[in-house]
This record gives sequence, structure tokens and C-alpha cells, in this order.
Amino acid sequence: MLEPVIPNIQDWPIARIARHQDEIIEDVSEESLSQIIHLSEHSKSIRDLIAQAVYLERIRIKDDSWDVDPEDEPDFWAKIKKRLSSYDPILTDKNEVVKIENDLLKKIVKRYTEEIIGNFDPKLYWFAQQTLPIFFGRLLSASNGGIKSLFKPKMALKDRLFLTGPIEKIRQLSTKGTVILVPTHFSNLDSIIIGYGMTTIGLPAFQYGAGLNLFNSRILGYFMGNLGAYKLDRRKKNLIYIETLKAYSRINVYKGAHTIFFPGGTRSRAGNIEKDLKLGLVGTVIEAQRMHFEKEDNNSAHKIFILPLTVSYHFVLEASSLISEHLKRTGKEQFIISDDPFQSARAIFKFFWELFSASSDITLSFSEPMDIFGNQVDDDGNSIDKFGNKIDIKNYFSINGKITKDPQREQVYTKMLGDKILEKFMTANTVYSSHMVAFVAFEILKKKFKDTDIFTILRLPEEDREIAWDDFVFTCNRVRDELYHLNNHNKVKLAPHMTLEMEDIIEHGIRNVGLYHTLNPIFRTKEGNISSEDLKLLYFYHNRLEGYGLQKCI
Amino acid sequence: MDYKNVSKKTPVGVIGAGSFGTAVANLLAENNSVILYSRRADRAEEINKSKTSSGQSIHPRIIATNDIEYICKECYLIFPSIPSQGFREMLRDFAPFLRPDHILVHTTKGLDVNLKTSENIFDKELSFEPSEILTMSQVILQETNVKRVGCMSGPNLAKELAQHQPAATVIASRFDEVIDEAKRAIKSPRFQVYASHDIFGVELAGVLKNTMAIAAGILNGMGYGQNTMAFMLSRGIREMIIIGTALGAERSAFLGLAGIGDLIATASSPLSRNYTVGYRLAQGESLDYIISTSSEVAEGLRTVNICNHISNKLRLDTPIIKTAYSVLFEEMELSEALNYLMSYQSKKDVDYV
Repeated sequence: MLEPVIPNIQDWPIARIARHQDEIIEDVSEESLSQIIHLSEHSKSIRDLIAQAVYLERIRIKDDSWDVDPEDEPDFWAKIKKRLSSYDPILTDKNEVVKIENDLLKKIVKRYTEEIIGNFDPKLYWFAQQTLPIFFGRLLSASNGGIKSLFKPKMALKDRLFLTGPIEKIRQLSTKGTVILVPTHFSNLDSIIIGYGMTTIGLPAFQYGAGLNLFNSRILGYFMGNLGAYKLDRRKKNLIYIETLKAYSRINVYKGAHTIFFPGGTRSRAGNIEKDLKLGLVGTVIEAQRMHFEKEDNNSAHKIFILPLTVSYHFVLEASSLISEHLKRTGKEQFIISDDPFQSARAIFKFFWELFSASSDITLSFSEPMDIFGNQVDDDGNSIDKFGNKIDIKNYFSINGKITKDPQREQVYTKMLGDKILEKFMTANTVYSSHMVAFVAFEILKKKFKDTDIFTILRLPEEDREIAWDDFVFTCNRVRDELYHLNNHNKVKLAPHMTLEMEDIIEHGIRNVGLYHTLNPIFRTKEGNISSEDLKLLYFYHNRLEGYGLQKCI
Repeated sequence: MDYKNVSKKTPVGVIGAGSFGTAVANLLAENNSVILYSRRADRAEEINKSKTSSGQSIHPRIIATNDIEYICKECYLIFPSIPSQGFREMLRDFAPFLRPDHILVHTTKGLDVNLKTSENIFDKELSFEPSEILTMSQVILQETNVKRVGCMSGPNLAKELAQHQPAATVIASRFDEVIDEAKRAIKSPRFQVYASHDIFGVELAGVLKNTMAIAAGILNGMGYGQNTMAFMLSRGIREMIIIGTALGAERSAFLGLAGIGDLIATASSPLSRNYTVGYRLAQGESLDYIISTSSEVAEGLRTVNICNHISNKLRLDTPIIKTAYSVLFEEMELSEALNYLMSYQSKKDVDYV
């Protein structure tokens, strides 16, 4: 546990911003309003945008309502609709039309902003910070040493959680600018694990977007809503909502709120490291940085740092439902989706129990922090180019010496940043024994049945799943050699246990990957060979090592 | 923002005073003052004195220099126009002076491959992987801090441009502002400009067509007429698309000015360097002799070798490339080459769209 970078919670950026909520609401309203009006000049009219929002919202209210939705929603949208049809846009005076439409737009934007906005309560944070580790610690000790140990905790979550990367530098930078943490996303538990991990290295709290559905639970909603989470509603796809959300993110980042974005958008369904990113909100970071350069002189301009983070688990709580969903999306076959175990408290409890009791680890592997253009930064936050010289990134926003706002340019920069993040995800990935055994086993089956498609392989009868032990060990050795090679070239990281004897690595991998699941994704048969009780899960864990070109070792 | 006013005051740069660089500088000089960079100081001085470069008179608004720092300081929009062979080296010289606010729009139709120290681009066995091939815009991104990169490609024979004949080109970039800036700088009543966001496709189209230009020169040199030529060109565009898509490009760029457009121009013109190599070869001159007596590099020779290597590695169906390679580097007789192509198992006409 490292000392907090900023000792007094009240001084944290997130707490400072939360004290001025009214200001945020006002700024966001103003910003999104001007952005929507600007967009309406190039595409749909404001009237059409409002009409579209009304239409989509009324359908959502009718077909897909949640507990968290406010009761006055139908009423609100009915009133907007009524007002919209109360005048004829052609016959009414132009100024009057603009006034009515801007007024309606303001009402909608304000409503959305008030819904999205998150809060940060320092006292609640302090309480959670004190109690959660104790809870985890007792759980951990109990799972290792029996129920009695529940009252004499000896271990803590931090003993299972490994944080690697330039920790001290990250701490330093968090006081010099705004840190944008971009993690891989495998499980809903990521937020909890990452949040806890950041606390252990003494960083102030980060704000993050949480699905509005998670706020359906009042208790969870209360904690999240007051500990820095703002709300994202994936049901709302109208432009007014999207622009309000982006403005909210842009303004908070601009004001210095350290933020977590999951650039993959949702959890990785196939178990692989993200290949495509949803960059809408990440783009707001580029805009915020440009705003700083526009409004401040170069020496004092506030800097934004991008911090990619790759999370490694031996097993993923929701693996079964995620992979089924992936197969249903990609496949011709119908796969029945099992319940998402994240909904069940018992399942979460079991996850942590297994995690602690079986010496299973989680690694949070931070990449080197970079600026928004992917340049490395030094300890003082200066951007360093590929030649090792300081570089003034402000000029990427300027043309002929003048900073200009060019949304298309910033879109391309966002995509470039996305590519950099993906690259870092891959190089910071920490390979575990379980990833390797799952990869090797599934690839051997794929090679054996090379003329069949993936869906047929996933349905192989039991007798066809068996892999001879010697073949398995031989291929594992080849794959490990290649992983060493990649590691020597800084293209991947390896967990310390990857240096054990091969038979020990395999045993460690098999034990860990099968830990949580009822059906073993991989196990040793009585004859000593390798087989699988659940090929879908094996495929899921195998996908973690996709993209490194390891297939050539099979 | 009105770029027109801004850019009128600022000169535009051109790197490379070869025949194409000079033609580009002349086009730019119709709208801007231009700084033309030549590697050699005596050459720059000579251009300024004689007011001619690579056999073309230069516009009064052009000044030549060999001062890298000067051209980089004065111009934020620069057109590198140098052969692919020396492209990376040249950029390394420029890199310390290039800033994040520079815009580079290159005109080079060649590829960059990372050869081992013991390898030569014309070796029979090459070791690079197709995924390691880079276009010039990718080399710029690798070697400099510049991000706003574009390319200009199309049926633009230097000699015809120098004669002020009407022509058109494509400016490709991921950035609208790069396209707008370059377009504003170079568009004129005799030079039409089209836009594309697919810079990789446009670059590859311009590069790959050079291989077909050599093949076209060979056919013309052998005395064949339009039927044979049309046969080769239409099968040639197919091979360009096959290789281009294998390297990850979209098909559409090959159907525009930078693909078919440039192919028609270079494959039927004695003004094209690549065409001329093929033509002279068919007339009985040896390749070594042709290379030693050419004033400028024919990019197509490098490209044929690179494409042949890619085709073999990826097992692509590209008989024209393979035959061109055998004729150029394996001393295959022309009659044998033609026989091979005419007896090649014919399949579906259009299998690439």
C-alpha cells in the first residue's frame, strides 16, 4: 500500500469538481447545445433532431423500461411532442421558431445532463476504502484457513493482486495533469479490481462511466453514483443524448477529472484482447487537450496522459455467457445464452472465494504513460518523440502557426490513438500458464480438424477431444519458446510462474483455468492425456493469446 | 478558415529537383511561391542561375535551395518528390527540422522494404515478409514527427505537365485538411484535382501500375498492336488489384485515376521511364545497359521484384508479374514469355470485383 499522492480526499480533482455540480451542468448544457446546433447546420434540422429523439424515447419507454427510469418520463416526452406540433415551422416567424426549438433542446439536454452526472462523496469514499479491504481480507483468510480465520485475517486482496509497470511515474503524473486510464475489459469485476488497485498505489479516485442498468439496484447505485460513476444509457441512441454524453466527458476531462474509459465498449465477448475500439468517448480526450492548448499558453497548458492497462485473470467469472453470446453473434448456429452470472451475488462471492483459496492471481499491467499522440512522456509530463527529444504537441492542432478546431482531423487522431492503445494492450499483456495451456490445447484440436469450421470443433464428441500428453508438452515447449522470444523483444509480458519446469506450468495452468467453472475447460484424463469438458470455454481462454502469431508453433 | 489567404503568403516546398519534382514545383508556382530543394548545392545554384531544372524552365516564383533547415522553416506544406530508393535516407536528414505542424504530400510511386545488409533489392531470394512492406506515407510516419501526410498520384507524366497540357490527379490523405491544403496549392485551370481518403490504396495503385508499364513497353517494343496491349492492360489491372488487396488495400482506388488512369497513361507512352525500360529491352538492349544509360531510376524494376516476391510468398495468381520478372531478371526469352502467357490456363474474366 503506497501513501496517497494527495493526502486529503477533499483536494482530489474528482472531489473538487463534485463541489461545483451546478457549474458542470451549466457548462455541459451550453457545450452540447452549441455542438448540436453546429451539427444541425450540416445534417438534420434541430426540429428533426428533436422529433427523432421524441420518437426513439417513446419507443424505449414503451418497449424497454427499467426500474431506474424516472416516473415522469412519459409525461416529459409527451410535452415535448406537443410543443413541437404546436407551431408550423414554415408559417411561424423564423426567430420565434429558433427560440422555441432552442428552448426545447435546452430542456432535453438539461434532463440528460442531470441523469448522466455523477457525484463524489469523500466521506462515503473514505468509508468504502476502510471497510472493503477488511471484507476482502477476511474472505481471503477464511477461504485459505477455514471459517475461523474469518475473524483473524492474515491475507489481503493485495496479496493476490499484482501491479506492474512504471507505478512511481504514474503517481507523479497524476499530480501534473489528467490521467486517462484505458483498460482491457473482460469482466464486470474489472472496475472493482482496477478501482482497488489504483487505491493501493495511492492514486486519487477516477471517474468512470457505468451502465445505467447497474443503477437498477438501489444500493449498488447509491455507492456507484457517489463514488465517481456517471451514467451511460446504451438504450439511448439519439444524437442529442450522444452529444450531451460527449460534452459531459469532454468538460470533466478538461476540468481535470482522472477518468477510466473502457475503449472496447463492452466486455470482450470472445475472450481475446480487444481488436476494435469504440472511440466516441476517447475522442473527447483529444478535444479536451485541444481546448487546453487553445485557452492557455503553451507553458501552462494542462496535459492529458493516456495510461493503457491490461488486466490478466486466470479465469473470468462471466466466461460462459460471454463466449455463448460471441458465438451466437458470429455463428450460424443457435447458441443458447446462459444467465449472466454477474447478476448473482452468490456467483461473485464464489469468484472471490476461488480467487483467494486457490492462489489465483490477477495482474494489472500498466503500459508506459503516453500523451494523446502516443508519444512517451518523461517524469515531468513532457512529451518525448521517437528520437528522444522534447516535442511540442500543441502544433498537431495548428496550421500555419495557428491552432484551429477541425473535428475531422481530431477524428483521425482519435483513430491513431486507438491503434496505439491496441498495440500497448498487446505488449503489456501478462501471459499466464492458464492462457498458454488453453491456447495450445485448442490450437492442436483446430489443426487436427483443419477442414472443419469452428462451430463443428466446438461440438466435437468426447473421444475426439483427447490430446496425447507427449504431443501437448512438446507443443507447449514450442509455444513457450516463442513467448520468451516475444518477451525478449518487449512484445508481451510473462507471469513469474512461466519460468517453472514445463510440467509444473501445465499443472498450474490446468488447475487455475478450471478453478471456477463447473465443467473443466481443460483437464488430465485418467490415462494422463489432455481433454476438455467444455470446448466453448477452452476456446474463450484460448483466444486470449490470439494476435501474437503463435499458431506457427503448433 | 480561409486557407487561401493564409497559404498565399507562405511558400510551398518541394523536395527533389528531378523531372517530376520540377514539374510539381512549376504547377505549385502558379498559385504560390515555391522553394525547391536539391540535395546538391551546386545544382541548386545552377537552377537559380539558369532558371531551368531537369530540362524544364522554371517559373519565376521558384527558388532552389539545398538548405534543409531553411525550406522546413519557411514552408509548412511540402511535397517530397524523390525516388523510393533514397526516400528514407532523405527523410532522416529532414526529420530534425520537421515539426508537428508540417504537412507532407509525397508524389513517389515506390515501396520501401527492409532488406538485410547482405541483400540487394534485385537478388533472386529476398527474405522480407509481405506485411513488412511500407508505402512512402508510412515511411514518413515512421521517420518523422509529421502526422498529417498525403500523397499525390495519377496519370501525370512529367514531360506532358511541363508542356502545360491539361491533366488530373488524386490527392489522398486520411485528413480533409491535407487534401484541402494540397488541392488549394496545386489546382489550376490545367490541373484538376480529385480527393480520396484511401491513401494506402491510392499509393499502391500508383506503385503497382509501374510493373504493367514495363510489360506494356515490352509488348510495344516487340511490335504488337492495340489488341495485345488491351489484353495485357485489362489482365494487368486484375493483378494489381490481387496484390493490392492481399496487402490490405481496398479495391476502389485501383479503378480511379491513380489505378486505371495512370495505367493507361504510362502503358502507352514513350514518355514513361518504366515503359521505356520495357521497350528498349524488347528492342534487344540488355537491362544493365539500359540502367546505366538512364538518367533517372525506373521505379518499376524494384516493384516487379517486390511484387514477384509477394506473389510467391502469398501464392497469388499473377502470371504477368511472374513473366515480367523472368524476362527482366532470369533472361527468359521474349517469345517464350509470350507463349507462356498465351497458353496460361484462362479462367473467369472478372474475378476480382
